[in-house]
Amino acid sequence: MTDALRAETPAVASAGVSTATLIKRDLWANAVVIVLLIVGMQVWSGFVPNYIMPSPLETATATGTILSRNLGDILLTLLRLFYAVGFALVVGCLIGAAMAMIRPLQPYLKSVIVINTGIPALSWMLFAIFWFKNAEMRIFFILAMILIPFYALNIYDGIRALSTDLIEMVETFRPTRLHILRFLIVPHIVPYVLMTTKSIIGYAARMTVFAELLSSNVGMGARMGLAQNNFHMDQVIAWTVLLVILNLSLQGLVAGAERLLLRWRPEVVVR
Amino acid sequence: MSAPDINASVIRLDRASKFFNGHPAVEELSFSVQRGEIVALVGRTGAGKSTALHMIMGVMPPDAGSVRVEGLDPYRQFRQLRGKLSVSFQTDRLLPWRRAVENVELGLQIAGVAAAERRQRALQWLENVKIFGEENAAKYPHQLSGGMRQRVSLTRALAVDPALVLLDESFSQLDHVTSAALRSDFAALVRRLGKTCVLITHRIDDALEMADRILVLAAPARLMLEVAVTPQLRADAAWRERQHRDIAAAMSVGMTPATAAAAS
Repeated sequence: MTDALRAETPAVASAGVSTATLIKRDLWANAVVIVLLIVGMQVWSGFVPNYIMPSPLETATATGTILSRNLGDILLTLLRLFYAVGFALVVGCLIGAAMAMIRPLQPYLKSVIVINTGIPALSWMLFAIFWFKNAEMRIFFILAMILIPFYALNIYDGIRALSTDLIEMVETFRPTRLHILRFLIVPHIVPYVLMTTKSIIGYAARMTVFAELLSSNVGMGARMGLAQNNFHMDQVIAWTVLLVILNLSLQGLVAGAERLLLRWRPEVVVR
Repeated sequence: MSAPDINASVIRLDRASKFFNGHPAVEELSFSVQRGEIVALVGRTGAGKSTALHMIMGVMPPDAGSVRVEGLDPYRQFRQLRGKLSVSFQTDRLLPWRRAVENVELGLQIAGVAAAERRQRALQWLENVKIFGEENAAKYPHQLSGGMRQRVSLTRALAVDPALVLLDESFSQLDHVTSAALRSDFAALVRRLGKTCVLITHRIDDALEMADRILVLAAPARLMLEVAVTPQLRADAAWRERQHRDIAAAMSVGMTPATAAAAS
């Protein structure tokens, strides 16, 4: 550590609260909110029939039943989500890279992507129902169409933000285009890929469930639709709780990947 | 495409000119650099030094005249100079996602050197510039001080074992003490290795400290003065003071806002 950095350290420590304290504070706040929700459910369920608001105990029982009987549906939803996000990541990155690196293609690809972002998710769902018979194909198509533009636009912006100083430096070693792609562009866009994934993963999970609700007989979305049709509100809430847990787990997974892949980035403390 | 002439000067500029929007940035610049020489190109900011450097690097062609590096046209025969020429810049330009040792390995990776040999050579080079131990070599750029980052940057340029090293204001962003230490270490290393080196700088002291020969450029980049430096002269304070004055006067010739804008 340089003297200048050492001199700055006490100011940083005295100005803020430690990360562990912040995490503890957040966990405490979450616990309080969950307890209040459970209490609210309990009180509300005393005044209305259980198809309007089941008690927390009924919901917990339904959650246990789902976990023992419908684990396959949860895994199927996860699998659909993963392969659609993976596909959108690869294709979106390729389109973004082509937009940034192949000048004549740029206005056309950009136009396609911008028009795509204006099409509502519901339209893609209805198109998929008309165009594809197979449920898996429908869900994959819907997710791909919704997610690809996010990756394409962010990667395009990421490559455009690449420092010309670094390009000039790499070029002094007389690289091929493949070298520049491998040693400069790919590592440079990793933070953009992770940032995009972090931003869309929750949205993608919700869209997967929505697509399943409209296009499939299996998966979390389809099961939620079935529970709703049978007036099993306890199951609808149980599936919702599982979706929240799934979303938080996915966010945690991406955050973990970010910590691992971006360990080269300095932690910035803003005072 | 012509074959390289190994007996030629390492660098030869013959009436090389470059224009931007009709304004000359480099005007009929001619000089040559012999193998093993350390030559400083000195000029004020905006005098066209960087344009001359870019022509030598091969990232832009001259509009008139010719530029040869190791007998090759660095712009048209760009790839043929791989491993023969490397550059260290004013800022370190380290890739932030690579550890120090991996940054040093970059040129070797592009040259296709095998992984184990690459690592061994990079660590050896880091020791040559006084970055000792695998612990320091494994640090990311943000974990290193400015001086250490610049040492890594210089090592990256040397690690490919080039015939020619170009230094573009490589010491001018460091504080006086760090810059002096790095300059002295680097000059000693380059002399020991017998490398040809061109230092681009606006700091006369850097040039007097390191170079065997100083070429003073006036705007637009054209040769105004040539000074030969020997270790004896370098140690003579009165001679240094006189040269400092003469070089400063030569650097100031022809500087107008228009030429400065064209050159930069």
